[in-house]
Amino acid sequence: METDRLEIARLYHRFGFGPRPGEFKAALAKGVSATKTSLLSVPAIDSGAAKVAEPNITNLGPRPAQKTSELIEFNIALRQQVKELPLWWLDRMALSDHTLTERMTWFWHGHWATAIGKINYAYPMHIQNKTLRKHALGNFGEMATAMVNDGALQFWLDGNENTVKSPNENFARELMELFVLGVNRYTETDVRELSRALTGYQVERSTGKLFFNAKRYDPNIKTILGSSTTFNGNSATAHLVAQKDNAKFISERLWFRFISSQVGLPSDNSLEKSFEARDISKLVVALADSQILRNPDCSIVKAPVEWFIGVARYLNLTPSELKTPAQLLGYLDKLAQVPFSPPNVGGWPTDESWLSSASAQSRIQFAAWLIKQADLTALTATAPAKRIAWLQDELGVLAFSNRTRLALDGVKSNPAQLLQLAICSPEYVVSA
Amino acid sequence: MDTLSRRKFLQLSGAAAVGAAAPLLTMEDIAHAAQVRPLPLGTPILIMVTLYGGNDGLNTVVPYTDPLYFSMRPDISYAPEKVLELDEQLGLNPAMTGIKSLWDQQKVAIVRGVGYPKPDRSHFTSMAIWQSGAPVSRLNSGWLGRWVESQAVDPMLAISLGSVLPPLLAGEKRSGSALPLGGLVIPTGTFAKDCQKLAQAVSTDNKLMAAAATSMRTLFSVSNTVTPVLKMPAPVADDLPTVNGGNAGGDSNLAQQLDVVAKLIAAGSPTRVWSVSLGGFDTHANEANAQAELLGTVSTALSRFTSQMKNTPRGKDIVMMVYSEFGRRVKGNASQGTDHGTAGPVFLIGDRVKGGFYGDQPSLSNLVNGDLAVTTDFRDIYAAVLEDVLKTPGEKILSGWKSKGQYF
Repeated sequence: METDRLEIARLYHRFGFGPRPGEFKAALAKGVSATKTSLLSVPAIDSGAAKVAEPNITNLGPRPAQKTSELIEFNIALRQQVKELPLWWLDRMALSDHTLTERMTWFWHGHWATAIGKINYAYPMHIQNKTLRKHALGNFGEMATAMVNDGALQFWLDGNENTVKSPNENFARELMELFVLGVNRYTETDVRELSRALTGYQVERSTGKLFFNAKRYDPNIKTILGSSTTFNGNSATAHLVAQKDNAKFISERLWFRFISSQVGLPSDNSLEKSFEARDISKLVVALADSQILRNPDCSIVKAPVEWFIGVARYLNLTPSELKTPAQLLGYLDKLAQVPFSPPNVGGWPTDESWLSSASAQSRIQFAAWLIKQADLTALTATAPAKRIAWLQDELGVLAFSNRTRLALDGVKSNPAQLLQLAICSPEYVVSA
Repeated sequence: MDTLSRRKFLQLSGAAAVGAAAPLLTMEDIAHAAQVRPLPLGTPILIMVTLYGGNDGLNTVVPYTDPLYFSMRPDISYAPEKVLELDEQLGLNPAMTGIKSLWDQQKVAIVRGVGYPKPDRSHFTSMAIWQSGAPVSRLNSGWLGRWVESQAVDPMLAISLGSVLPPLLAGEKRSGSALPLGGLVIPTGTFAKDCQKLAQAVSTDNKLMAAAATSMRTLFSVSNTVTPVLKMPAPVADDLPTVNGGNAGGDSNLAQQLDVVAKLIAAGSPTRVWSVSLGGFDTHANEANAQAELLGTVSTALSRFTSQMKNTPRGKDIVMMVYSEFGRRVKGNASQGTDHGTAGPVFLIGDRVKGGFYGDQPSLSNLVNGDLAVTTDFRDIYAAVLEDVLKTPGEKILSGWKSKGQYF
């Protein structure tokens, strides 16, 4: 039973963003297999996600000249859009009825990590986000092709400036190292040849629209990973995705974020095999295998956004309606994780990196701020003596330790403080 | 090293973060140690300054009389009259006036063409190689982490500023410590006591839960009143004009890190190695302004720090080492930028340093695959730092590396 509880808790916290009220207890009654099926099968319609209106993000056009009144309006509109975009996505994460799609979109955002700071416009980042969502559980080859043709990513990695006359290797290197193959699975010559294949793209800043400029493209033969032909961006990407190392690398990355950064992958290559056809959903199902989920060593720290969305889902909070949304983004910034602003092209760190004393302090304040805006009727209606056990199920925690029980016991008559300690406890901050 | 353990070593780079079990220090810990067991006066102190992203060495120490420099970099070269002349061949980036003035005082050693065999052009891998100090055996620990392990146990011995520990200070079993920037505001009153209960260690904790509890415990070991050290003003630099927003970088985080280091060194913290850093050097496009702004930030911060420390009895004990994971390609790309390259200059700064040039300037007419040839192995510098600054034999820490530069 304890391992069933562990497996179900992991399904909720890792393949979703944590349970809504009552969900975890119902799942325990339903059993592992039925829970897995329901959490991993994406329904045709998600009425929760459908409730979230598309953000009001429009093409603002080129930046007006200095010292014009247009520039002031432009800056106001830009600031508004740059704020609206992460709030829209956080709302989707919090309000979706079925969270696997958002969870995977979130994973891919960290994988193809692009930061709005350099892009400067919200519009191309919004398009990139929709592209990642469209392919989140689809075919990786199609995703990679779409991303090579994504204006925001191209601009982020200077693809815009990669020309036959003077190749810029930034995109080619990261495409192999961080996106498709993994470090050391190619040579420096491969980087240079791939950058030639990736020439010819030009990006319109404000929309991320990609143009192909034949004059900038290198039409000659390139030799990439042993194959020589007149590769272009799309054919070279397909060539990379077809490599065996691609299955290895994507399995490693998903493992790293969903299962463990400390325990290695299964030695039977089962994950790579599940990804033979580059079907992302098959790899996700393989990761949710009971053998893996029941390994007690595979704990993982919730990243700040994951922790926040888990709390918001439990407390039925809509991120964009919090008072104020700017404060919300401020708290996430203090915890060093704001959607659309990864620290670098390698994405966000993991596990202990989120556990500094500075972040412990921010989390305590953030928790108090969220709880103040929540309706705690259900918790208040529960008898104080039963609240700790009740919260353990409501939050989907494997088991509060004796330490945490003792702490919670001290504040059990105060629902707000009780909840604050519960969501800041090691057992909630870490997915067991 | 296999890919997985390499990835583990790269843990703090973001690309593959795992997280070291590094002790997180509080100001109070350090202040207490400074009072009861201050570092003996005259003990050399090392400050590692890491420039993340790959600093363009050719536009840092500019070969301003070499025609090849101008022909290979038509868009991003510095005109001879702009550079800060060091000798007849080389000049500093125009933004580095602070370091130029230290050079004029013979306090700066510039080691040229520094790198390692078989250069790797991945940021994450190359920084791991520099920080491991083991380009051949690719050890899973940092060279200064191994130095920490060669010393008696002391969490104050090596400290990195910021909440995340760089691999540089990570040892196999013991590591340097991390000190978060900025004051911590902690809960008070009876609720604080309840909060503190969450910080107790219990046997049922797994590694990560124990780390979560530790982070709480560290938080609460900071007293409500800010410690005397943090309250102290930073040492005054009376030979510098007070400039508001005078440098291009503005109030940079590097200056903030060094301010904390300055206070703690002045207070007598028993710390022999400090690590600070600045990012943003990955200048694939529109390099000139971005790099000048960053180099200006570094130069201003380091010279200001030097001036501050000059008024303390420990000023003459400090050695700073400035490095980056690689230089950049000699030829500019079409984006007024440069791609990842190989060798670059390393700066050693301080009273103990014998100022001047070391190592050969890599030739622009004799490139290796379009990149500068490495003329000095970074282990020569590490060996000198270990033996002459940290007074520790370098050979074992550097996997048997024997040669060493004479910079001190």
